[in-house]
Amino acid sequence: MSAVIQDLVNRPYEAGFVTPIEADVAPRGLSEETIRLISAKKREPDWLLEFRLQAYRHWLTMSEPKWPNVHYPPIDFQDIIYYAAPKPKKLKSMDEVDPELMRTFEKLGVPMNERAALAGVAVDVIFDSVSVATTYKQKLAEVGIIFCSISEAVASHPELVRKYLGSVVPPADNYYAALNSAVFTDGSFCFIPKGVKCPMDLSTYFRINTQDSGQFERTLIVAEEGAAVSYLEGCTAPKFDTNQLHAAVVELVALDHADIKYSTVQNWYAGDENGVGGIFNFVTKRGLCKGASSKISWTQVETGSAITWKYPSCVLLGDNSIGEFYSVALTNHRQQADTGTKMIHLGNNTRSRIISKGISAGHSNNSYRGLVKIGAKADNARNYSQCDSMLIGSRCGANTFPYIQVRNRSAQVEHEATTSKIGEDQLFYFASRGVGAEEAVSMIINGFCKDVFQQLPMEFAVEATKLLGLKLEGSVG
Amino acid sequence: MVAAQSTFLTTLLGSAPQRSTGMAWLDRVRAAALERANAAAVPSAREEEWRFTDLAPLARLSFQPRAQAAAPSTQAVAARLLPQAYARLVFVDGVFAEALSSLPSSAGVRVMALEQALRDEPALLEAQLARLGAYEHNVFTALNTAFLREAAVVVVDPGHAVSGPIHVLHLASGSAEPYAIYPRTLLVAGARSRCTLIEDFVALGEGAYFSAPLAEVSIAPDAAVSHIRLQREAASAFQIAAAFVEQARGSTYRLVHVALGARLSRLEVSVVHGATACETAIDGLAMIGARQLADTHTSVDHAHPEGRLRQTHRCVAGGAAHAVFNGKILVRDGAQRTDAAQSFRGLLLSERAQIDAKPQLEIFADDVKCAHGAAIGQLDAQALFYLRSRGLGEQQARNLLTYAFAAEVIERIAVPAVRSALARVVLERTREAA
Repeated sequence: MSAVIQDLVNRPYEAGFVTPIEADVAPRGLSEETIRLISAKKREPDWLLEFRLQAYRHWLTMSEPKWPNVHYPPIDFQDIIYYAAPKPKKLKSMDEVDPELMRTFEKLGVPMNERAALAGVAVDVIFDSVSVATTYKQKLAEVGIIFCSISEAVASHPELVRKYLGSVVPPADNYYAALNSAVFTDGSFCFIPKGVKCPMDLSTYFRINTQDSGQFERTLIVAEEGAAVSYLEGCTAPKFDTNQLHAAVVELVALDHADIKYSTVQNWYAGDENGVGGIFNFVTKRGLCKGASSKISWTQVETGSAITWKYPSCVLLGDNSIGEFYSVALTNHRQQADTGTKMIHLGNNTRSRIISKGISAGHSNNSYRGLVKIGAKADNARNYSQCDSMLIGSRCGANTFPYIQVRNRSAQVEHEATTSKIGEDQLFYFASRGVGAEEAVSMIINGFCKDVFQQLPMEFAVEATKLLGLKLEGSVG
Repeated sequence: MVAAQSTFLTTLLGSAPQRSTGMAWLDRVRAAALERANAAAVPSAREEEWRFTDLAPLARLSFQPRAQAAAPSTQAVAARLLPQAYARLVFVDGVFAEALSSLPSSAGVRVMALEQALRDEPALLEAQLARLGAYEHNVFTALNTAFLREAAVVVVDPGHAVSGPIHVLHLASGSAEPYAIYPRTLLVAGARSRCTLIEDFVALGEGAYFSAPLAEVSIAPDAAVSHIRLQREAASAFQIAAAFVEQARGSTYRLVHVALGARLSRLEVSVVHGATACETAIDGLAMIGARQLADTHTSVDHAHPEGRLRQTHRCVAGGAAHAVFNGKILVRDGAQRTDAAQSFRGLLLSERAQIDAKPQLEIFADDVKCAHGAAIGQLDAQALFYLRSRGLGEQQARNLLTYAFAAEVIERIAVPAVRSALARVVLERTREAA
C-alpha cells in the first residue's frame, strides 16, 4: 500500500468530538428503581411503567444470546447510565435550539435547518435520548400525520401507543428487546392515518453524546389502510474509548394496502484500528405486514459500530403482502457485523426479496444471517435472496448463514450467494483508462452496491456513496 | 449437555462390558470413547447443529447390542451382491460374515475385516484407526468407537489402481428385538492410487434397529478415491452416520451419497483439505416419503490454497417427510485461489412435506471464488405443460420430471451396475410417491 492509501485507511473518525451539554443523568446501574425513575421523569402513565417492569422482570430471567458470530468482552449492565436528558427547555422554533447543539450538527456537516428545508425533510432530533426539536409538525398535522417523539405520543395519543407498542416486538422477544422495553428513554412515533400518503420523507437524526449513556431508542411506525410513508434514520457518534451499548427496537405496522419504507444509514463510531472503543449496536427491527397487500421495505447501509447485531425482519401475515430487505454492510479494521433479515411468510401469495451486500476489509468479520420461513398455510409464497460478499485483504472474514425453512409445497424459494474481491486486474484496467486506484475502488464498490443504493432516497444515496468511499478508499493496493 | 441420560443411552451404555481386543492401544481408544459417551447426552434441537433434526423418536426407544449374528438366506443376499466388485466385505447386523464375503489377495490392495487387519497390519492400524474419526465429535461417534469390534479395512498401496469397486455390504436382518450396530470403515489410499469404495446399507427385513456407522478415509498425495454411499435401511430403522475424510496434496475425493431408507437418518460428512490443490466433489440425494426424516450435514474445510469443491444436493420429500440439508464451506485464512461451488435444490411433493436448508459459507481469504445456490419449490409448471403437450398424462409428466430431478445425482455414480439399479429404485419411488 502506498503512503497515500495508508493515510486514507487510517483516516480518523471525522465526527469524533464531544459537545459538553449539561445532562440530567440518572445514576449508573439497572434496577426497578432506575425504571421507576425513568418512568417518573417522563411522567408516564401506569400502564407503561407496568410494561417496563414486566419487561425488566422477564429480562432478568433471560441470558445474553451467544449464537451471533461476534466476540466482545462481557457487558456490565450495572455500569450503564440508563437515563440522560438534555436540560429541559421549551422550544418554539429551530432558532431556540441550544447553540452548542447546532454547532455539533454543523461540525457534522449537516446543518439541520438547512438540510430540513432544502430536502423537505422533517427532522425529529434525538439528542441523548430525548427529543429537543421537532420540525414540520404543522405541515404533517394538516394531513393528519402524527410524527413526534414517543414520550410525546404517550402523553398525547396514549391509546395508539398502547395499542401498538410491543405488538410486533413483544417485550420478551429477545434479550436486548426486553432490555429496551424496560429502559427505553425515547424514540420516534409515527402514525399515518387511513389513505394518507406522507408528503415528505420523515427523518430522525441520531446522536450519542453523554459518555457511557446507553441508548435505548424505541421507534414505532403505524401505517393505516392505504397509507404510505418513507422513513429515514441516520446516525453518527462522537469518539469514545469505552464501549457504548445501543439496543434499539423498531416496530413497523402496515395495515391493508399500506406501504412503509424504512431506510437507515448507520455510522456509529466503530472503534480505532485496534478495535478499542466503538459502539455495540444490538438492534431489534421488525415490521408486521398485518393487512392484505401491505408492503414493508427495509434498506440499510451499515458502516459503523464495533459490533452490529441486527436483523430487520418482515412478518408477512396479510395475503399478498410484500417484504423487502436491501442491505450494504461494510466492516473495516476490527469491526464485527452479524446482520441479515428474517422473512416469515404466513399469508397467501406473499412475496419477499433479500439483497445483501457485505464488504469486509482489514481484520473485520462480516456475517450475513438470514431466515426465510414459509408457513404451512402460506400458499404460493415467493422468495428471492441474493447475498454477495466482497473481501478486501486476506485477514478479514465473510460468512453467510442463510436458513431456509419451507413447510408448504407451493412455495418457491431461491437463494444465491457469491464471493468476490477487487482484483489487481480490475485495478490495472482502470489504471490503463486513466482512473486512479482510489477512484477505481470507489467505482467498483458502488457498482457492487448499486442494487441497494438505488433503493435509498436520493439524499441518503449520496451520503451512503460518500461514506463507503471514505471508509474504504485505500484499503486495496 | 443434559445430566440425566435418556433410556436410549443408558441401555446402550449399560450393555455387556467389552472384551479386550488384545491390542492395548485400541483398548485405550475404546475406553476413552466410552468415557466420552458416558458423559454425553442425545443432542437436542436446541443445539444449532441439530435444530432441524428432532431425535426424540430415537431417544424414546431402547436398543440392545446384537446378541448373535443372524444367518440370512443366500438367496436374499445374492440379490444384493455386485458381480462387478473386485472385493466384497459383508457384515450382517454389524458382524463380519466371512462366508458371504469375497476377499481376493492380490498385490497392491488389501481388503480385510478388522480382526485380520489387526493381525496383518498392526502398525498401520495403530497409526490410522480412529485417527480421523473423532470420537469426541458427538455421542454417536463416541458410541461407534467405544463399541468398535468390527470394521471393514481397505489399504491401497502407492501407485496401485484397484481394478473394480470394493463393495462393503451391511445387511440388517431385522428382528423383533430392537438392536444397535456400529459399522466402521477405514480406507487408506496410498499416493497416486485409485480406488472405488461402495458402502451399501441394506435391510433384508423390517424391524427397528439403530445404526451409527463411521467411516474414515485417508487419501495420500495425488490419489483418487471414489466413494459411493447408499442408505437403504428399514422403514423403522435409525441411522446416524459420520464420514471423516482427509485429503493430501493434489488428491481427489468424489462422494455420491443416496438416502432412501430409515425412519430417521443423518449423514455428517467432514472433508479436510490437508494440503494444496485438493479436489472434492460431493453429490447427494435424499428421496423420502411417509414420516421419514433425512438429514445431510456436509463440511468442507479448505485449509490450503488452490482447493476445489463442486457440490450438489437434491432432496425430494413426499408424504409428511422432512428433509434437512446443511452444507458448510469453510475457506481458511491463506487458502487462496479456492474455487468452491455448491448447489442445493429441494422438491416438495406433498402438502405435509417440509425442507430445511442452510447452505453456509465462511470465508477468510480474499482471492477465492465461492458461490452457493439454494432453491426449494415444486415442479416447473412450464416443463409440465410441455410434457403434457407431447401427450403425457399429468401423473406421468410429474413422475418423469421428479425422476429427472433425482437422476442428476444418480448419474454421477461411476459404477454402471449401481447406477442402473439405483435408477430403477428411484423410478419406483417416484411412482410410489405420486
